[in-house]
Amino acid sequence: MTITTNIVVEREDRVQRLRAASVPYLLLIPAVVALAAISLYPTIDGIRASLHKFRYGLDMGFAGGDNYTAVYSDPVFWQAIATTAWFVALVVSIETLLGLLLALLVARELRFAGLIRVALILPMTIAPVVVGVIWRLLYASDIGVVDPLFQALGLGAPHVLAHPLSAFLGLVAVDVWEWTPLLFLIILAGLQSMPQDPIEAARVDGASGLQTFFHHTLPLLRPVLLVAVVLRTIDAVGTFDQIFVLTKGGPGTSTQLISIYAYNTAFLFNQYGRAMAMLIGVLAVLIFLMLAAVRLMRRTSEAIE
Amino acid sequence: MTLRERIGLTFVYLALGVAILLALFPFWWMVDTSLKRPVDIFSGVALWPQQLTLDSYYRLINDYHFGSFLLNSVIIVASAVAVSLVLGTLAAYALARFRMRFGVRQMALYLVLLVRMLPGIMLCIPLYIVLAKWGLLNTRLGLILIYAGLNTSFVVWMMQSFLEEIPRDIEEAAMVDGDSRLTALRRIVIPLAAPGLVATAIFSVITTYNDFIIALTLTSTPDAQTIPVGVSTLIGKIEIQWGPMAAAGVVGALPIVIFALVVQRNFVRGLTLGAVK
Amino acid sequence: MSDKTKNTGKSKLLKRRMRRRDFIKGGIAGSALLAGSGIFAPRIVRADTASITIGSFQDNAMVPFHEYFCKQFTVETGIAVNYNETNYDTWYQNCKNDGLNKTGAYDIYVMDDNWVPEFAAGKIVQSLDKLGLKVNPDILPAGLEMGLWPPKSGARMKDFANATPELYSLVIIDDVEILYYNKDFFPTAPVTWDDIYNVAKTTKAPDMYGWSPRGVKGNPIMMTYLPLLNSYGGNFVNPDWTPGFAGPEGVGALSRLFSFIPYMPDGVAEYDTDQEVQLMLEGKCTALTEYTGLAQRVDDPSSSKVVGKIYMAATPKQVKSGPAIGTFIAGIASGAKNPQGAVQFLEWFTSSATQLEFARKYGGAAVTGTALNDPEAVQKHRWLPAIADAVNNSVEKPRTPDEPKMEDILGTALNEALVEAIAQKSNYDAIAQKHLSDAADQITAYLKQQGGYF
Repeated sequence: MTITTNIVVEREDRVQRLRAASVPYLLLIPAVVALAAISLYPTIDGIRASLHKFRYGLDMGFAGGDNYTAVYSDPVFWQAIATTAWFVALVVSIETLLGLLLALLVARELRFAGLIRVALILPMTIAPVVVGVIWRLLYASDIGVVDPLFQALGLGAPHVLAHPLSAFLGLVAVDVWEWTPLLFLIILAGLQSMPQDPIEAARVDGASGLQTFFHHTLPLLRPVLLVAVVLRTIDAVGTFDQIFVLTKGGPGTSTQLISIYAYNTAFLFNQYGRAMAMLIGVLAVLIFLMLAAVRLMRRTSEAIE
Repeated sequence: MTLRERIGLTFVYLALGVAILLALFPFWWMVDTSLKRPVDIFSGVALWPQQLTLDSYYRLINDYHFGSFLLNSVIIVASAVAVSLVLGTLAAYALARFRMRFGVRQMALYLVLLVRMLPGIMLCIPLYIVLAKWGLLNTRLGLILIYAGLNTSFVVWMMQSFLEEIPRDIEEAAMVDGDSRLTALRRIVIPLAAPGLVATAIFSVITTYNDFIIALTLTSTPDAQTIPVGVSTLIGKIEIQWGPMAAAGVVGALPIVIFALVVQRNFVRGLTLGAVK
Repeated sequence: MSDKTKNTGKSKLLKRRMRRRDFIKGGIAGSALLAGSGIFAPRIVRADTASITIGSFQDNAMVPFHEYFCKQFTVETGIAVNYNETNYDTWYQNCKNDGLNKTGAYDIYVMDDNWVPEFAAGKIVQSLDKLGLKVNPDILPAGLEMGLWPPKSGARMKDFANATPELYSLVIIDDVEILYYNKDFFPTAPVTWDDIYNVAKTTKAPDMYGWSPRGVKGNPIMMTYLPLLNSYGGNFVNPDWTPGFAGPEGVGALSRLFSFIPYMPDGVAEYDTDQEVQLMLEGKCTALTEYTGLAQRVDDPSSSKVVGKIYMAATPKQVKSGPAIGTFIAGIASGAKNPQGAVQFLEWFTSSATQLEFARKYGGAAVTGTALNDPEAVQKHRWLPAIADAVNNSVEKPRTPDEPKMEDILGTALNEALVEAIAQKSNYDAIAQKHLSDAADQITAYLKQQGGYF
């Protein structure tokens, strides 16, 4: 009698423990399923498509590495990669500098601090498509303000979107307008969570503002800066909506980022497999960047703690 | 305050003034254009409408279905964010509170990051085919499911760090009192994590509301199309309607701008934490 | 007071009891409730034979179609018509996805004629012959043939070399490029490009321009260049698929376009339809080539400052006149839920009676000979003869699913050449030759890679 109860109790115990142990996994499963469905499935499908031949929009079966060979021997693809690299390098460095500058200006006792912050970050909150619309209205040579502004300054109308170089720089300007706020916010958060003692101490020792900045603030800020730069870089590589609205990659191929070229290849030229081959290559680079980002973030959080 | 400091401060305000002007003027130009008559749009730079008209907005609602777009966006964003907050918070709780075996934790976090960097173009076609199979193309439900999935990654990412900040003792005390795990989570942990939850929700709302390429591919009529898709339909190849296009931009930006002003404090918090942690 | 306390006590108890199972149940019930409430369900509920769904891109020329004729069809047959439209690029993608996956959201796609090869070869639309559609013999052949796959004449892909042409879509609006000119500058219709150039030389920018092209890369600048190329005797592609624009004809045509640079707006490289049309309607331009949609607006005082002054003619000749055709053409979706209703609609809309009403009432680019030459219609809408003339002379784009890529390559090269020519203001022949040869090489390489051409 006592023995059986003991066994029952033990069994119940084990069931209880098993139950308790399974709780975290049960909690995790719905989210993991959702995430896998939304990311792993399309990735695998993209890899599969990149190995297939498409004709007339139809899947014509396995084609080995043909798409990859075609893509990597396509000069327009490399041009798009180069354009993307230039674009990303320019926007990320300008945005980081401006964001840092703004954060340094705001990180002090100010009147209307809350309002100033919100006003500064509004550009990053609205849809990229709307950003495209706004700048189309500004750049348009017949109804815009940019051309008249340059004329008023005696510089002649630039017709921003009509020339390869100015269109490229025009898009860089749009991106800087839209995303400097993000860098500003991240850096501001970094500045505000920074230990003030060493900086105060340096001040007391008579160091100038610039000296304190370069010797104390910047080194402390570096981890945050790195994270911000990596995250922004990953996002900038995928820039699509604004260009889709503003130039569709023109004039010529001057603003054809890889996202635009892949989009055209898939949906306009009906070479879905080839487009996937391009994107898989880009994704591989992004994943490399991501791993770097994770590592940096880990180090950052250690540094902050 | 010394004279030098005062000059310095004046300079700071001046510089910030210029920055704010640069940040806000483009918005004003859009509002300005949307309130002008078509003739005035073409008659040179005017920083104020020569003659105020709501005609562009009227056309937007009547000819271009913006009522439906707005309604779709609100329903889709609200539902998708709600679902992802539930899924994501549960998962984040598991990641924050338990030790997982087999590197599950690492894998889950990498999955979260992978979602964030997948190019939208890559998602469109596979998801299109799946939704077509389930008969969910061009429906709000289809978009809700997809956005909920995409958002979950972000919620897990953020909530995990928020939940880690909440001391375990409190919920353990509740569990000693007889609460189950989930009751403790609901009664104790969630209220404590509320600010984090709000911040997460804000960022989720913004990213979901702003998405373009997925909605563009997966919807085809105003029954399910969202605001950004609606805006893009005005950028026709055949003829650009500047007035309605500007008005569409205003309508597209307005909900988010109002949202930003209403939740001002949490807003900045949501955006920063979302990026840093 | 005491009631309230009681209640809170109770609810606390209730809350305590709510365990995991209830939580899940609640969730399922909640979502079922939401799903059932209809917020998420699509709003179009279709009865299969009582309605058809038509999708299209936005265009002025489509306004009478959906505002009058779709309703008229319902009045006459009792079949309801759902009509949806969106912008060109979006629609191209939407209907392609719909057809490739046989989703069946639409019965009829309104298409651009250069989509036909891809849509027919990719089985996105059904064969109208197989569906038993009866073609009205009154339809102008040039427009009708745009719906055939493989094409009746011209270059053909190898995969389809021996196939019998079948009708895969039916022309519904004979849209074609025509010349618009301002009567103040041209007492009689200009016949050659030289006539236009001679008047252009007398204009002074920026008050008046002698020519307004579309310069944006890709399709827009192609629409400017093709009528020039054709009129100079060049070809986009020759019957053996070799590019036909890099020779003296093509270079001559492009140099001719460049010769107008001093009389064109500065920013033409970013000009698309809306900008060039705006110039014309403001009376700041003497002539341009444009599709027929503009005809509807030139006499509308709310958009035009030159009411009654703009006249129309076939596009100028050099060797011959050769406007690009851009018909609106309708296909029946591979997954159509009501193909017979769709056939009935297309037969009705392209019937001589309906087309006559289209021409008389709206001055539309009707597809039938009797409508375009109807005296009453012509008297009310002076552009109709120009349309008939242009359709008969029109030149089609290469009939292949790879046409968009070819158009992208040449359209990008043209845009680059235009930008360079505007910057240098001289050396036009050399610039034209360089970029055209380059584009020809790229197109040949691409076609070789695709296979099925040479």
